[in-house]
Amino acid sequence: MRVAVLAGSIRAGMRIAGEIENLPGIDVFVIVCNVGMRSPLLRWSRELFSALKSFEKWTFAAKAYSYARQERLIILHWPLDDPASIELLRSLQCDVGLHAANVIYREGTISAFRLGILNAHIGILPKYRGRCVVEWSVLQGDPTGVTVFFIDSGIDTGERIVLQEFIPSNGWKRVGALKNMLFGCDARLYRKALEALMQPGVQYEGNDILKGRRYYVMSQMLINTVDKILRDRANLG
Amino acid sequence: MDLETALSRPVPLDRRKEILRGALLRRRAELRKSWKHFITAEGLESLGSLAPEVESFLSGQGSIHDWRPAATFTWINCDASFSDCLRSIALAGEVDYRPSDTSPARLSLVDLNKLSSIKRLNLLCARYRCPLNIAAASEFDVAEELLRQLMVPDRVKLEAGEEFDADIILLKLNLVGIRAMITRDLRYLDALNYFYELLHRSLAHVRTSPRYVALWLCIYAQLLSMPDW
Repeated sequence: MRVAVLAGSIRAGMRIAGEIENLPGIDVFVIVCNVGMRSPLLRWSRELFSALKSFEKWTFAAKAYSYARQERLIILHWPLDDPASIELLRSLQCDVGLHAANVIYREGTISAFRLGILNAHIGILPKYRGRCVVEWSVLQGDPTGVTVFFIDSGIDTGERIVLQEFIPSNGWKRVGALKNMLFGCDARLYRKALEALMQPGVQYEGNDILKGRRYYVMSQMLINTVDKILRDRANLG
Repeated sequence: MDLETALSRPVPLDRRKEILRGALLRRRAELRKSWKHFITAEGLESLGSLAPEVESFLSGQGSIHDWRPAATFTWINCDASFSDCLRSIALAGEVDYRPSDTSPARLSLVDLNKLSSIKRLNLLCARYRCPLNIAAASEFDVAEELLRQLMVPDRVKLEAGEEFDADIILLKLNLVGIRAMITRDLRYLDALNYFYELLHRSLAHVRTSPRYVALWLCIYAQLLSMPDW
């Protein structure tokens, strides 16, 4: 199976690639998107800063170099949905893309992958679509977790859910930290999802959008309320 | 962990609803003082006979009216104008409504979004002459679209400091607030929370529409006082 990590930075791409590259039968590419179409100077400064922040910067640099030498590290200079980028993605003949960039995917980009692009959404689908879903789940007393599903061009409306993992919020005192932990589960869950996809006769769960709602950015007042709920639970627990 | 396990885990006894209620009441207390930042003395004066009612409603305890029975009908009619109905709802007064045998044809969201700001405002005021109808089951898609517009393009525009049409944004906030009163959907309430926080930074713009601002704040005050979120 050929897999491309669609990342916002080399470091973010290499982190996920590192988790999945040892899976038997997987060929990994890292595609680095120019999120926000930054100037080359700003873009490379950010990459350098990000690399220097890494605890294992030399291992990271060696790995990135190795990927680049094998032409598995591809730096996009155009927007992801530009025809030139789509042509390049198509030429890689990947089965699956892994979302790790802060970009919106259009139909042309999605269809450049045989099976589609997976997203590790930090909420439970189909109930919680959109933004701030961790906050909304805690506020409404629902379980938190991550859903890995194939995206479409809507907001968390892709119909095929590959897997879902419930990860309790108990013990966390701040929603920001809880969200970071959930975001950090992406590489491990992408690995699990790819393992599931390589099984014969893979079955998807449906994502019935009528069973859920789209959520939006939360007000500061309610974010503070969610933090208070978490602290209250942690103190009781 | 699967859903069954997640749900069967002993959930620590939390005080979620109590904490939320406390936060809403604190915001209500803040609103008692802060509403004067949104409406200038001249703006208040321009409201005429509405001014003393708004002032006493926002500065005092205010009352709440349970409009949920209105949502049991497919559609309701009333003889009062949009403006008078909105005033009565915002100030927790009475609206003399009666169930209708027919409801208007479904509103096409594509057509709605093609309209200019002023035409959209007129269309919404005409369709929701009795604004309680925004909570009708048939209006789910329209209400969701108004919420999306507020929380995505309108919010982005305001946060970027761009020019915006205060009338249409405030009309949407009034309608979304009325839907929150009836459906008790926290997302709709939070749109009002968000814009209350956001509009503090764009006061000059909203002060140009004192009537809509006043009624929106009265609806918001009622929402914050409702006990059953």
